[in-house]
Amino acid sequence: MITRRNLIAAASVTALMLSASFASAQDKLYIPLVSKGFQHQFWQAVKAGADKAAAEFNVDVTFEGPDTEAQVDKQMDMLAAALAKKPAAIGFAALDSQAAIPLLKQAQEAGIPVIAFDSGVDSDIPAATASTDNLAAASLAADKMAELIGGAGKVALVVHDQTSRTGIDRRDGFVNQVAAKYPDIEIVDIQYGGGDQLQSTEITKAILTAHPDIKGIFGANEGSAIGVVNAIKETGTTGVVVIGYDSGAAQKAAIMEGTMAGAITQNPVGIGYETVKAAVAASKGEAVTKNIDTGFFWYDKTNIDAPEIAAVLYD
Amino acid sequence: MTTAPAAPVAAAKAPSGAQQKILAFASLIVLLVFFSVASENFLQTSNILAILQATSVNGVLAIAATLVIITGGIDLSVGTLMTFCAVMAGVVLTYMGLPLPLGILAALGTGALCGLISGALIAKMKIPPFIATLGMMLILKGLSLVISGTKPIYFNDTPGFSEISTGSLIGVFLPGVPVPNGVLILFLLALVMGYVLNRTVLGRYTFALGSNEEAVRLSGVNTDAWKMAIYALSGAICGIAGLIIASRLNSAQPALGLGYELDAIAAVVIGGTSLAGGRGSILGTIIGALIMSVLLNGLRIMSVAQEWQTVVTGLIIIAAVYADMLRRRRAG
Amino acid sequence: MTELVRMTAIDKRFPGVHALKSAQFDLVSGEVHALMGENGAGKSTLMKILSGIYQPDGGTVAVEGKSVTVQGPRAAQSLGIGIIHQELALMNDLTVAQNIFIGREPRRSFGRLDEGKLNEDAESIFKAMNVAMDVRAEVRTLSVARQQMVEIAKALSYRSRILIMDEPTAALNDAETNELFAIIRRLKSEGVGVVYISHKMDEIRRISDRVTVMRDGAYVGTVAAADTPISTIISMMVGRDLENTDVDIPDLSAAPLALEVRGLNRGRTIRDVSFTLRRGEILGFAGLMGAGRTEVARAIFGADVRDSGEIIVHGKPCTIRSPKDAVGVGIGYLSEDRKHYGLALGLDVRSNIGMTSLFRFQNRFGVVNDNALAVVAKDYIAKLAIRTPTDRQEVRLLSGGNQQKIVIAKWLLRDCDILFFDEPTRGIDVGAKAEIYRLLQSLAAQGKAIVVISSELPEVLRLSHRIAVMCEGRLTGILPGGAATTQEHIMRLATLRQGALEEATA
Repeated sequence: MITRRNLIAAASVTALMLSASFASAQDKLYIPLVSKGFQHQFWQAVKAGADKAAAEFNVDVTFEGPDTEAQVDKQMDMLAAALAKKPAAIGFAALDSQAAIPLLKQAQEAGIPVIAFDSGVDSDIPAATASTDNLAAASLAADKMAELIGGAGKVALVVHDQTSRTGIDRRDGFVNQVAAKYPDIEIVDIQYGGGDQLQSTEITKAILTAHPDIKGIFGANEGSAIGVVNAIKETGTTGVVVIGYDSGAAQKAAIMEGTMAGAITQNPVGIGYETVKAAVAASKGEAVTKNIDTGFFWYDKTNIDAPEIAAVLYD
Repeated sequence: MTTAPAAPVAAAKAPSGAQQKILAFASLIVLLVFFSVASENFLQTSNILAILQATSVNGVLAIAATLVIITGGIDLSVGTLMTFCAVMAGVVLTYMGLPLPLGILAALGTGALCGLISGALIAKMKIPPFIATLGMMLILKGLSLVISGTKPIYFNDTPGFSEISTGSLIGVFLPGVPVPNGVLILFLLALVMGYVLNRTVLGRYTFALGSNEEAVRLSGVNTDAWKMAIYALSGAICGIAGLIIASRLNSAQPALGLGYELDAIAAVVIGGTSLAGGRGSILGTIIGALIMSVLLNGLRIMSVAQEWQTVVTGLIIIAAVYADMLRRRRAG
Repeated sequence: MTELVRMTAIDKRFPGVHALKSAQFDLVSGEVHALMGENGAGKSTLMKILSGIYQPDGGTVAVEGKSVTVQGPRAAQSLGIGIIHQELALMNDLTVAQNIFIGREPRRSFGRLDEGKLNEDAESIFKAMNVAMDVRAEVRTLSVARQQMVEIAKALSYRSRILIMDEPTAALNDAETNELFAIIRRLKSEGVGVVYISHKMDEIRRISDRVTVMRDGAYVGTVAAADTPISTIISMMVGRDLENTDVDIPDLSAAPLALEVRGLNRGRTIRDVSFTLRRGEILGFAGLMGAGRTEVARAIFGADVRDSGEIIVHGKPCTIRSPKDAVGVGIGYLSEDRKHYGLALGLDVRSNIGMTSLFRFQNRFGVVNDNALAVVAKDYIAKLAIRTPTDRQEVRLLSGGNQQKIVIAKWLLRDCDILFFDEPTRGIDVGAKAEIYRLLQSLAAQGKAIVVISSELPEVLRLSHRIAVMCEGRLTGILPGGAATTQEHIMRLATLRQGALEEATA
C-alpha cells in the first residue's frame, strides 16, 4: 500500500535531487537574496543580474520572494530561513522595513552584512542599497507625458499598489511633477489594480468610459501598463498617450506597434548585479558605496534597440 | 442477555481519526529526520524556533478553520478576517491611543462579531458557507483597506504590543529556549480547543452538525444558534491570529490576508479532517500546519528553487489526502 | 388501556398540495397501531404533525386527554412522543451514547460534558431493552439493524409513552426484524403505544393490533388486524380490488439463450456462480441479505471487478470490464437505490429517459435534438403509463413507482434486452407494485430477458419463471416457478450453508 509516508519520502527525494547541484558546492560563498516578488518578469530580471554576478564572482546565489507584495510575514519566514543557512551576506528588499528589523538585527549580531535592494530597507543596518530613484523616474514619465500631449489635458494613473513604497513613489513622483510644472494638465483619476493585468484592464476601461476626452494614461508598473494597453486595444480607443513602466515582451511589443508611446525602465539586471557585487565586497570586509543608484531610462520606438537600452530591458 | 444475537454485537472497531493522526505524525518525523540529514543548518534551535514562529499564524487560522470544517462548512474569510482584526486593534491602540488590553479585546471582539455574521448568513439566511464566507472575505479585505486608509498601522506607540508574539515568556524561565509567545499561544490555544471539541457541548454539536445536521435539528437542538456560536468562536480565534501577526510585524498590514485561508485549509486537510464534515481533530491540524512549515523551511534551507517548493507543497497535499482516501477505502 | 393520542380533523396544506384532509388517528397505551396507505397517502405527514415537525392548518391534537400544540421536536419529546424516522436520523461520526443523548448531554459547569454519565445512561437504556450494545462504538461501524436499535433507544430515552416508527424494517433482514418485533412486544407490555408505518402486509399482521388506513390524505377506516383479510386492507388502501394473479409460466424451451454465466467468482462474496437466462424469461434471485445477489448482478454488469468467470451474451463470449461494456452488449442494471444510482432527481423526465442514449439525439456538434427526444420520451410515458403532468416535470416530484418506470424507460431506450432489476419495488406502494409487475411481465413477453433480485419472497414467487437461490455467495439451487414452489422451499436453499452443501453433494 502506498502510504503517505512513502509519498512524502518520494517527494523529499525529488527535492533532494533538485538541490543536489547546490549541495555539492557548499564551500563557495553563499548569498541569498530575499526579494519582494518572484514570479514577475521584473524580479526574474533582477535574479538574472544576480546570477550573472554570481558566475562572475564565483559565489552561490539563491533568490526568493513571496507571491504577493502583501505577504509581509511570509517574507519574514524566508529571511529567517536564509539566516539559518549562515550566509556570507544577504540581499534584502523589504516589503515592510519595520517588520524586518528584529531579523536584520539578528543578522547584524551574527556579523552577516545586509545589502538592501530595490525599494531598500528603512534602517541603517544595510551596508548599502542598490535601487532606482522612483520619484525621479516617475517625474521623468510626467515630463514625457506633458511633452506628448502638448502640455494640457486630462490624464489618469493606473498604479499597482497604494501601500508599497514603489507604488507611492511612482504615483507621487508623477503627480508632484505635474502639479509643479504643468498647470494645464488635470489628473482626473488614480486607480489601483494590484499590478494585475486583467484588473488593470477593467480599471482602464472604466476610466476611458468616464473620461472620453482623456489625453494620456500612465501605468505605474509592468502589469498596470499592460492592462492599460489591453484596454486601449479592446475598446479601440485612439489618440490616448500611454506611458508605461518597466519592460517585458508585451510592453516592448506595444511600444513597437505604437499603442504605447514609451516607458520608463529601471535597470533590474543592474539591481541584481550590484546587490550581489556589493554583498561579495561587504562579506570580505571591503568598503561599499552606501547608495548605489542603478539608474533608469526613458525608452520608446526610436531607442529601444540601442545597446545601452536593450541591455536593461527584459522579456 | 441478548434476545436474538443475530447481528454482530460489536462490529470491528472503526479505524478512528487516531490512525490518521499517527500517519501524519510519522510523516512529520520523517520530514524532520530527512531535512536534518540533508542540511546541518536545519536542526538548530534558531531554525526550529523560526519554523515554529512561521507556523504560529497559519496554525491558529487552521484551528479556526478546523471548527468550521468539522461542521461540514468552509470558511474562506479566515485570512482577511485576521487582517481586519489586526486593523481594528490598530485603530484602538494607535489611532485612539487606548491601553493594550482594549486593543486585544477589540481584535477578539471584532473576530467574534464577524464570525457571528458569517454564521447568521449561513444558519439563518441559508446562504451556502462557501458563498457567505467568500463574500465576507472580500468585504473584510475592503474594509481593512478603508479603515486603515490603505496604509499599514504601526504599533510604535504601544510598548509591549510586539511582545504578544515575539517576546518569550518561556525564555524568561528557560533562558536556553526562547520560544516566541506566538508559538506558546498557538499551543495553548490548541490544548484549549482540543478540550472544547472533545469535552464540551459546543464541541459535541460541532461534530454532530457535520455528521447529520437534520438529525441534530430533529433531536430538538437549536442548530442555528449553535452554528452561529461555532462561527463566532472561529472568528474570535481569527482575532487571535490577527494579534499574533500584527505583533510579529509590529503593524497591521491591511493588504495582507488573501491566500492565507487556503494555507489554513490545506493544514486542516493534511491533518486528516474531512472536508465533508463530522470528523477531524485539533492535534491533526497542528501536525498538518507543522508539516507545511517544516516542508517549506526545509526546502528553503536546502536551497531548492522557489518554483519547485510550490510544486512539492502541492504534491504533499494531494498525497496526504490520497493516503487518507486509501486508508478509508480499506477500512470500508 | 388509557387513550394516549387523539388527532381529529387534521388539515395540512403545502404549496400546491392538500396533504391532509380532515385526517384522524388515535392510539391507546399498550397497543401497536399500524398506519397504512400508499405513498403520498399522508401517513408520514400526519406523524410529523404529531411529532412537532409540521404544524397543522386545522384540527386538534390531544395527548392523554389534554389538547396540545406540539411546537417542535423538543415539545414533542417533553410530551413523551418519540419518532423513528424512515431515513435514519443518526450522526454517523458520533458514538451510540452520544447519538442517543444529543441535545440533552449530561453537563457539568461551563458547558463541559459528563461523558461517563452519558455512557452509563445509554448502557442502562440498552439493558432495559435487553439488547447488547457497545455504547462507545461509532454509529458508522454498526449495521443498519443495529443503527435502528440506536434510534429506538434514543426514542425510549425520552421516556416516550408514544413511539412512532416509520418503515422501521425497510432495511432489516428477517432475523433483525424478529429482534425488532421482540423489542416492540416488550414495549407494548410496558404500556407504550406504538404507531407502526409499513408497507409490508405480513408484518402488519404479525405485530399490530389495529390498522388505520389512509388514502389521498384522508382517513379511510380502522380495522382490527387479527381478523381482517389482507385483501380487504389492500382494497381500502387503493380504493379498488386488486387482481391476485398466479404466475403464468411460458414454455421457453425453444427460446434462445440470452445470457449464460459460467464460474463467476469474486472474493468471498461470489463463489462459482453459473446460470443461464433465456429470452422472454424472468429469473428470480432470492436469498437473505448479504447472500451475494446484488454482487452477482454488479459483477456481471462490470460495476465490480470479477476474479474469474465467463459471460456469454446471445451465444457470444464477451469481455465486460466496465458498465459501459455491459451496456454495449445490451445488459442493463437497475439499482435498488434509484435515487442514488438510477436517476438525476433534479432533471426532468425527458432528460432522465434520454440520459444514457443522448448520443443518438445529438448532431455532430454535440447539440441535443430536444424535439426528437421529447417525442421518444412521450412515447415511453404512454407505453409504460408513467404518471407525470408533462415530460418536463422534475423527477423528484414523482412517486417511487413512476420513478422506477422512468429508470426502466431509460434502459429500454438504450436497447438493453437483458435487464437486471435489483429490488424493483422497494419503497413503492401496493398499487404501483402490481403495475410494475405487469410491466415486467409484458417486457418478458416481448422477448426481453429479465433477472429480478428481491428480498420479498411473495414478490419472487409472483414474478419468477425460475427462482435462483443464493446463500453466502454461492448459488444453492434453481427452483421452478409457479405454485409448486413455496416460500419454505426457497428458505431451505437460502439457509443451505457451506457445510451442509458439501454433505449434500458428497
